[in-house]
Amino acid sequence: MNKISYFIKQSWLLIVASFFFGLLIAVTNAGLSPRIIQNKINKRNRLVTGLLPDARNFVPVDSEIVIQSIEGRKTKVEVFKAVAENEECVGWSFNAAGPGFADKIELVVAVDANFEKIAGFDVLSSNETPGFGDQIKQDYFRDQFEGAPAEALKLVSLGEPTEIDSQIVAISGATVSSEAVVEIVSHSVTQIGEQIRQKGILGHDQK
Amino acid sequence: MTKSNDKTALRYTQTLLAGLWRENPVFRLLLGMCPTLAVTAAVKPAFTMGCCVIFVLLCSNIIVSLMRNLLKPHLRILMFTLTIATFVTIADLFLKAYLPRMSEMLGPYVPLIIVNCIIICRAEACASKNPLLVSVIDAVGMGLGFTLTLCILAAVRELLGTGKIFEIHVMPEAFVPWAAMSMPVGAFITLGLLLGLVNKVTGKKA
Repeated sequence: MNKISYFIKQSWLLIVASFFFGLLIAVTNAGLSPRIIQNKINKRNRLVTGLLPDARNFVPVDSEIVIQSIEGRKTKVEVFKAVAENEECVGWSFNAAGPGFADKIELVVAVDANFEKIAGFDVLSSNETPGFGDQIKQDYFRDQFEGAPAEALKLVSLGEPTEIDSQIVAISGATVSSEAVVEIVSHSVTQIGEQIRQKGILGHDQK
Repeated sequence: MTKSNDKTALRYTQTLLAGLWRENPVFRLLLGMCPTLAVTAAVKPAFTMGCCVIFVLLCSNIIVSLMRNLLKPHLRILMFTLTIATFVTIADLFLKAYLPRMSEMLGPYVPLIIVNCIIICRAEACASKNPLLVSVIDAVGMGLGFTLTLCILAAVRELLGTGKIFEIHVMPEAFVPWAAMSMPVGAFITLGLLLGLVNKVTGKKA
C-alpha cells in the first residue's frame, strides 16, 4: 500500500498531464482530420488527373475488392472508376502500397478503360534515398509504365527505357526502389484486374 | 516605485533581446542544428519551420512555467518531453490540414521538433525556474532569434542556389544558380561562414 501511495505521489502530475495532453491531441485530431483526409483525396485526384487527362470525376466501385498484399495480408482496395465529362469510363485508379528501401511506398496507379494497359503511376508518399531511390518519381522511370501491359511486369537492369513493354529498366544504382515499385504495380494490377473481370464490373461498364 | 518598474522593464527587454543576439540559439548556443541544416534550402520552409518552433516553444514554456512548482526533479525531463511532443503533434496536424504541400516539403522535420534542443533547453533553463511572463518573453525572443537565423541562412542559400528569394526571381538573367547551395553541402558552407562572421563581429576567439 505504501508503495502505491508513493508511486501516486511521485507521478500524479505525469498521469494527469498525460490525460490532459491526450485529450488535447484527440480534440485537435477530431477537428482537423476531415480536412486532412480531404487534402489526401484532392492530392490523389490531382495525381490521377495527371495520368488520365480526360477524367473529370472519380466514382468508387461498389463491390468489395480484396487483394493479397506483398507482405501476404489480405487488404481491401478501393478502386475508382474515372469518368469523363460525357459519363464515359476513361480508366480505373487505385492506391497500392508495399515495402520500399527505407519506408513504405504508397503509389496511385491508373489503368485504361479496358484494364489492358497501365496509364501510369504516381508516388503518394515515399521515403527513398534522396538522389538515388527517389528517382522513382522522375519521368524517365515513370514514363516506362505509361502504356505498359496490365500484367506482371519485369525489372531489368539494362535495356531501352523508351521501349514500352512489360520490361521496366531500373533506375541506376537503386534497384531496391525500382524493384519495389515494379512489384507493387504488377502485384496490384494483376489481382485487381482479375477481380474486376470476374465480378463483371468491367463488362458492365463497357455497355 | 518607478525605479523598480524600470528595472523589471529592463529585465524583460534584456530577456527578449538575449534570444535575438546575445544568446541566439543558432549562432551563439549552436542549438537546433538539425532543422538549421535541413530546411534552409529556401526561405518559405525555413520560415514555416521557425513559426512552428515559436508556437511549440511558447506553449511548452507556458505549461512548464505554470507547473514549475509541482515538478519532481527526477521526472522533469519526462514532463518536458511530454509537453513538447503534444504541441509538436498539434502543429504537425495543423500543417497537414492547412498547408499540405509545406507539410510534405518539411516531411519528418516537423515531428523532429520534439527533439529540438532549443525547446528543451528553454524549458530547463528558463521556464522551470521563472514566472509566466518571463518565460513567455523568453520563448518569443528565442523563437524569433531562431526564425530570423533560419531565414538569413535560407535567404543566402535560396539566392545563390536558385537565384530567387521567396520564389521570386531577383538575380540578373546572366546569373547561373549554384546548385550546390541547395544541397546539404551548401547548408554546411553557409552556416560555417555565417558562424565565422558572427564570431568575427563579436570578437570571439576560437
